[in-house]
Amino acid sequence: MSDQPDTATEPNPLEEYAAGIAERLGAEGSSAEFDTVRVDVARDKWVETINEARKELPFFSWLSAIDWSKDTDVGEGVANPDELEERFEVMCRLSSVENGDGAIFFTTLSKDDASIGSLTATIGGAEWHEREAHEMFGINFDGNKNLVPLYLPDDFLGNPLLKSYPLIAREVKPWPGDVDVEGLPETDEEGDAS
Amino acid sequence: MTSREMMHRSEVAVSVELETPDMTLNIGPQHPSTHGVLRLVAKVDGERITEVEPVIGYMHRGYEKLSEVRTYAQITTLVNRIDWVSGFANEVPFILGVEKLMDIEAPERAQWIRLILSELFRISSHLVFMSSYPLELGATTPLMHVLREREYILELIEGVTGGRFHPNFNRVGGVKPNYGGGSQTKKQSMDLPAGFFKSTLEAMDRMDQICDDIDTLVTGNELIKARTVDVGIIPGDKAIEYGLSGPNLRASGVAYDLRKVENYLPYDQVEFDVISRTGGDCYDRYLVRLDEIRESVKILRQAIDIIPAGPLQVKVPRILKVPVGQVYSRAENPKGEFGYYIVSEGGKMPYRLKIRSTSFSNLTILPWVLKDQLIPDLVAIMGSLDFVLGDVDR
Repeated sequence: MSDQPDTATEPNPLEEYAAGIAERLGAEGSSAEFDTVRVDVARDKWVETINEARKELPFFSWLSAIDWSKDTDVGEGVANPDELEERFEVMCRLSSVENGDGAIFFTTLSKDDASIGSLTATIGGAEWHEREAHEMFGINFDGNKNLVPLYLPDDFLGNPLLKSYPLIAREVKPWPGDVDVEGLPETDEEGDAS
Repeated sequence: MTSREMMHRSEVAVSVELETPDMTLNIGPQHPSTHGVLRLVAKVDGERITEVEPVIGYMHRGYEKLSEVRTYAQITTLVNRIDWVSGFANEVPFILGVEKLMDIEAPERAQWIRLILSELFRISSHLVFMSSYPLELGATTPLMHVLREREYILELIEGVTGGRFHPNFNRVGGVKPNYGGGSQTKKQSMDLPAGFFKSTLEAMDRMDQICDDIDTLVTGNELIKARTVDVGIIPGDKAIEYGLSGPNLRASGVAYDLRKVENYLPYDQVEFDVISRTGGDCYDRYLVRLDEIRESVKILRQAIDIIPAGPLQVKVPRILKVPVGQVYSRAENPKGEFGYYIVSEGGKMPYRLKIRSTSFSNLTILPWVLKDQLIPDLVAIMGSLDFVLGDVDR
């Protein structure tokens, strides 16, 4: 419940699990918030770490990226723009197929040099995920031989999931659903659920 | 490449060796077997596929981008439409993720209602497969027969949620309140419609019957077996490498079901078996789904027995502001692992929402599994993967 005290300070078995993975793989750091195991990996060790990790977590679930940007044309932006270091985070989730174990591996790319090794040599399923991240964020995956657009037309300009990329459809035509939306009572933040 | 073994089975009898130069064949985007708009560019040598390149994106609607300008409550409307034959099952992991970030737990009865609706949608989704797959293999009778039975499930869903395909029934902290135009001033929510349990049990009897009927019509059918047994074999390690999940993975000998391993909804309080088979061919993928309908029936009968009385919602702020945090939340969709990576920066809308849609990952294996297969088997293999293009294209 929302008014109960924060339990995050108690020892957390998941955090120990995450730290264990990070130690075995020689990763840079780990955390486990909200039951989500996160392992931070150096960019130049990305491919070998993922391949090593697959020995205990063989299931390739997905790969994607986050654009951390101050320049947000859509949505609300980050909580503290002043402290934000602009970067890309590439993330890849692997999991076990015997129990609920799993971890998301993160690595950081600078915006000037957004390229990283490709996982396609050992993980066939990574090809489409990398193509998607390539067209949506402009991240280059060295070694992916088929880095052509997946969803978008071949002549599409820009990388739509960048925070600086405007949601053009909404600028041409305001969201038609707007007319049906009841105005939010800004003062009544702790109001009831009904 | 003109040797006899490279020729189609039906052509083996022809003694003349024909030149079969490489040819590019375009299949789709509008083709009855592609379940939506999927284009395959296949290089063929005679009847054999040497290389295939799926072209997707015809239905790309940019849900991940749209989610960045919608509030958390509005996003459930979007995610309903990703995999439209299992709309409710798409909502569940998203809502559970938001609840985790906000440290809210839905009341027990709401959790059970979520479980019941998830299983109803699983039956409904598998029945769509049971009707369309034989049709793709040339059997027209099961289509009408099975879709008629599916109406009983859709009626149950409509009775509870008001919608047949897009229930939009989950709320952060519970399920939809005030169903049926309840009073805005009263803080209680209306419950399941009268007679819901009775009609569910009746429908479950019908489901048992239709499973037996499908067995009679399809499972033992010689023609179906000839088209599917040992066709499109996916070994377990390949399925894992390509991120296949759900029945497609379990048909390859990997008994991995998130309902058992992931701690969500009261699945630990009901008894059911994880169906798995070892062949990894089209026939096994079909059989896994058929048996999963029976397991879902079993789960629903128990759930109706167990479901406790109580409220459907906990009190949540009217304006949902989700604390800063990142969570990955996943659930067993009828087609496999469906997950959301939610990045919240403390606002009313997510900073980033990564949607791990099931059919997208299930389809990535298509170039691998179709290589060196025969053109007539293409439809059998694609159909057996049971994908929905809305789920692929997002």
